[in-house]
Amino acid sequence: MDLETVRKRAGPREFGPADDMPERYRTAATRMIQFHANSEVMGGYLDKTFTRKAPSLDRKLANTAKVQDEIGHAQLLYRAAETLGVKTRAEMLEELANGDGKFLNCFHYPVDSWYEAPMIDFFVDGGAMRRQATLKSTSWTPYAHAMDKICFEEGFHVKHGESILRELMNGSKATQERTQETFDEWWPRILQFFGPTNDESVHDDFGRAVGLKTVTNDELRNSFLNMYIPKAEKHGLEIPEYPRIYERDDGTMAVREDDLDWDEFRTISRNEYEGSHEQIGSRRRRQEAVDWVRKSLDSWESSAGTTPRAAD
Amino acid sequence: MSGTPNSERIGRADLSAEQQVALEALLFRLADDEFVHAERLTEWQIYAPTLESDLAIANIAQDEFGHARLWYDLLKRLGYTEPECLWERDPTEWTHSLLVERPFGDGDWADAVLRGYLYDVAERIRLEAVADTSYAPLADRVGKVLEEENYHREHAVNWLERLTADDDGRGRVQDALDELFPYALSLFHPGPREEDIVEFGFRTEPVAEMRTQWLETVSPFLESLDLTVPEPDEVERPDERGRDGTHTDAWTELYDEFTATYHELEFETPATLRATEE
Amino acid sequence: MIWEVFRQEAPGDYHEHVGNVHAPDREMAKLFARIQHARRMQTNSLWVTPREEIGEVSAEDAAFDGRTDKSYRWAMTYNEIDASFAEEVADSESEQREAARKRREALRDEGNEA
Repeated sequence: MDLETVRKRAGPREFGPADDMPERYRTAATRMIQFHANSEVMGGYLDKTFTRKAPSLDRKLANTAKVQDEIGHAQLLYRAAETLGVKTRAEMLEELANGDGKFLNCFHYPVDSWYEAPMIDFFVDGGAMRRQATLKSTSWTPYAHAMDKICFEEGFHVKHGESILRELMNGSKATQERTQETFDEWWPRILQFFGPTNDESVHDDFGRAVGLKTVTNDELRNSFLNMYIPKAEKHGLEIPEYPRIYERDDGTMAVREDDLDWDEFRTISRNEYEGSHEQIGSRRRRQEAVDWVRKSLDSWESSAGTTPRAAD
Repeated sequence: MSGTPNSERIGRADLSAEQQVALEALLFRLADDEFVHAERLTEWQIYAPTLESDLAIANIAQDEFGHARLWYDLLKRLGYTEPECLWERDPTEWTHSLLVERPFGDGDWADAVLRGYLYDVAERIRLEAVADTSYAPLADRVGKVLEEENYHREHAVNWLERLTADDDGRGRVQDALDELFPYALSLFHPGPREEDIVEFGFRTEPVAEMRTQWLETVSPFLESLDLTVPEPDEVERPDERGRDGTHTDAWTELYDEFTATYHELEFETPATLRATEE
Repeated sequence: MIWEVFRQEAPGDYHEHVGNVHAPDREMAKLFARIQHARRMQTNSLWVTPREEIGEVSAEDAAFDGRTDKSYRWAMTYNEIDASFAEEVADSESEQREAARKRREALRDEGNEA
């Protein structure tokens, strides 16, 4: 299929593994889905922390269930990415461990306190869910299928996150202050979650032209602000003065993007931020430590352990 | 599942003071083992060898937390609060076995799998020994737990068979066995009120009998994988006993970690997330 | 040998199991499947796979989720939180409510049989 045909046909769930897709489409879709899958894994490195810290047995149970969902999402997404025929899952995981794999900005910041749980589980996950809901209409069918299952599960994550936020903001004055401080720290990162404005986004135009994406970064961020600012305020959080939020003519909210630190964002997207080294280093060490198990499984697979393949 | 009709069992209101003390000792042992085992197993979440094995081990950990919760719930019905069971209970009052508190070495998946196996076999024997308990609310819960434990044991057995199929893997499992075995024996150390627990029929087997059953199950299986099982009466036993509240240093560190946020936040009651639609 | 057949009706749909064919190899299985399972039904794509390569998890084993209360992983448990502010959260919750209802019914049926 040539690019012109792809552009013309582009629509929800329009293309699948049986279609002969042009190189540029396959590369762009792989980049996008791999990024998404990597983000599920690296989000887990943050969320994992909260299982041990959870201040109630039920919260502990909920957190470990949530992290399972995330790893489950990674499994679905790597498979969806593999269907494009560009990279195998092993290759993508190798890239993630060696620092070539890219993932969401928010997951480059290590966490160490329970106050950070709702920042990830409510705001970051809420933002992710906004984006994921629009990806049910992506043109690459296996990606859309993964999104069906992911969106089904995510509702619990966001409500779990909001429930933690609500509990913290009903806590002692000191707890409320610590939560506010943590929010102040995370808020700009959360706003950057949706990436730079459209004219700065290199891959955005092509992605939309071929139906991989259906909504722009700006639209997503603005709708997120309209939904989550009232929520934050409802629980007693104050929106920091900077970056400035303003109301547009149509009554919806937007952010003054010049107020955000895009240098830091770009350093992160090159995996060169301090936190990037820490998070990726942790991933690499953890993966290397169990390399022997994967080798052991491979040798089992290639020996008598498996059932013989049916002959063609 | 059991031969005793519920009408002949003891209800909460029928417990004598002496019976209640014995029952609590039994329940804390069950609950603490599950809780601490789960707390350690969750360390593998995100760090497991593959995405699929990550989900499996984390789901097992989640089940064990869920089982701990069932047993702590029974204690709550006897008047304890969640903070009294978990968050504010002195670490020297915990009566879990030493096996479940041991820290994992980096990448020591052989330990994770073998520990799961040694624990799950003991767990099954213990659940079967309380299936016919005289305490009705306990009997009601055993079936639920046994169902989930089947998956755990299958998981451990399948992994052990595959890991021991090559020399490197078998060597690692053997190392884990040599390391864990003395601690695993503490699963069967009689804790406080052991005689009363059996006398009142809360458990129908004494721990000594359970220990024999356990050895008769794990030894032949592990030997069939070309592993050498240490001689139980000859291994060097740790000074700590677990069931009597004495624990290895690793426990204190773990306890401090998982209770820190609770103490920092000082919420009035720990959040509960239970069924709202039935 | 027996080959199981999965049919996808339209692009973007899931492949769903529709039946099987007897065939000596994959090429013949595809030929037979086209006639047996696609000749009258709208079909975008077919998959065939050797039956013996399919591993089955029984109903009993599939219920590994067990009987312990796992409400903490369902959105509707967090009933102090209003999901209606974001369509995608509300959608997820209603899908979860439906899935939980099916699970409860299955457990109840099982309980009645026992």
